[in-house]
Amino acid sequence: MAGQKPKNEIGKLSFEEAIKELTDIVDKIEQGEIALQDSLQQYEKGMALIKHCRTILKQAEERIEKISQPEAKSQDSSESEAEN
Amino acid sequence: MSETKIYTVSQVNTLIKIVLEESLPSRLTVKGEISDWKHHSSGHCYFYLKDETAIMPCVMWASKFRTIKFEPEDGMAVFAAGHIDVYIAGGKYQLYVDKLDPAGVGALQLAFDQMVRKLQSEGLFDEAHKKALPPYPMRIGIVTSESGAAVHDITDSIRSRWPCAKLFLYPVPVQGEGAAEKIAAALRDINRRNRKLRLDVLIVGRGGGSLEDLWAFNEEVLARAIFDSKIPIISAVGHEVDTTIADLVADARASTPTKAGVVAVPDMQEVLSQLAAMQRNLSNQTNARLQLAQQDLQIILAGMLFRNPLTLVQNARQRLDELAVDLAQVTRKRLSEAQRKISARYEQIVQIEPHRLLGRKTVELNDWRNRTDKVMRTILNNCRMQLTAKENRLTALNPKSVLHRGYSITTDKKTGLLVRAAQNVQIGDDLLTELAGENFIESLVTKK
Repeated sequence: MAGQKPKNEIGKLSFEEAIKELTDIVDKIEQGEIALQDSLQQYEKGMALIKHCRTILKQAEERIEKISQPEAKSQDSSESEAEN
Repeated sequence: MSETKIYTVSQVNTLIKIVLEESLPSRLTVKGEISDWKHHSSGHCYFYLKDETAIMPCVMWASKFRTIKFEPEDGMAVFAAGHIDVYIAGGKYQLYVDKLDPAGVGALQLAFDQMVRKLQSEGLFDEAHKKALPPYPMRIGIVTSESGAAVHDITDSIRSRWPCAKLFLYPVPVQGEGAAEKIAAALRDINRRNRKLRLDVLIVGRGGGSLEDLWAFNEEVLARAIFDSKIPIISAVGHEVDTTIADLVADARASTPTKAGVVAVPDMQEVLSQLAAMQRNLSNQTNARLQLAQQDLQIILAGMLFRNPLTLVQNARQRLDELAVDLAQVTRKRLSEAQRKISARYEQIVQIEPHRLLGRKTVELNDWRNRTDKVMRTILNNCRMQLTAKENRLTALNPKSVLHRGYSITTDKKTGLLVRAAQNVQIGDDLLTELAGENFIESLVTKK
């Protein structure tokens, strides 16, 4: 039933998506309409999501990347188009 | 002849021009109401200034008119600055206006009000068009001047609240000639490239300044670029009290660049708290669910069946024994009852002395038999006697006995009928006569 998402797929979720899935899981367990086996699975998934969210929040980037037009002379290579 | 000098038209007009140039200040400012405003296709503007009693023809060359921010209209009160000159060929004077300002309110303010009305009527400020800001933006674009305090205000306020976001700067001029166009171009450029850039939200702004300094953010070209942007835009312009057209069109507004951080991103501490609360919630709820399951298990384990599984068998066995005992008891009881009944009946029978009774009754029976026999015999005899008597009488009455006395019975042989009289027969008939002892003779009638 509830998504059997492998752990690396959780790592790909955006913060917003992760929070939403987390909210869904807590609601489901709270409502109680869930088998014991599933609730344990969902608990694990929930903890993984929380860990993922905390990881996202902890990262901090000092750099400010410039994204002016390619014609203008900017320090960063605008060719990469700020993909990171 | 008279001394009257004859002038040509051109001469008079030229004289007037000279006199005017000498008498009037080379530059003056006139206050009046615009009337009959005409904006030629050439770009030059021709109009009249008027007061209560007089009018003055004016012209404003296109080059000067371009610098005006507001839209002059008929009826508008203005200050027009320039110089008076005579148009010799046309025979009139004109005010050549190089500076036009609205009377009563500043030119820029007027332009601002006019632009607000115009864009509002087009619906650019409508709530319906405003996009929702992403709740957790991770990639934020900042469009502002590279120098200046604004960029630091914006990035510092974001970093202090939400350091996990990646910041991208697109430097633009934020005042002066062409600034609005460059900012608008930047916004369109970012939108075009956003599949690669993947920015979640843009912040466009600058630090405080005068209405003139901020003017680029009131220009139509920038307003339209903000409106057209598919990426949500937060405007962060000037001080608290400044409201620009960009502020009105943007999807959200920060009253200063510093406030941009508050508008654009959430507070990381708050979000961490929420995550902690969710984690607690998750644990509690799962625990509760676990407890529920454990309780169910306990109840089952505590049940008799689990504590002593043989209980069922033992119970059954015991029941069986009880039933066996009951069965024996009941059977014995029935048996003794039956026996009792039999004994009672036997006693009753013995009471009756059946053998004696039997003997008595046999004697009685014999008596009756004898008496019956006797009576029967008597009756029989009587009947016999009666029968004999009857028989005798009947014999005596036998008609054929009379035959022994000589009588005979004659019948017609053919018909069998008795012949009683002579008429019964004819001569020639055969007769049959019965005599005693069953003898017959046949005869013929010969004579009657």
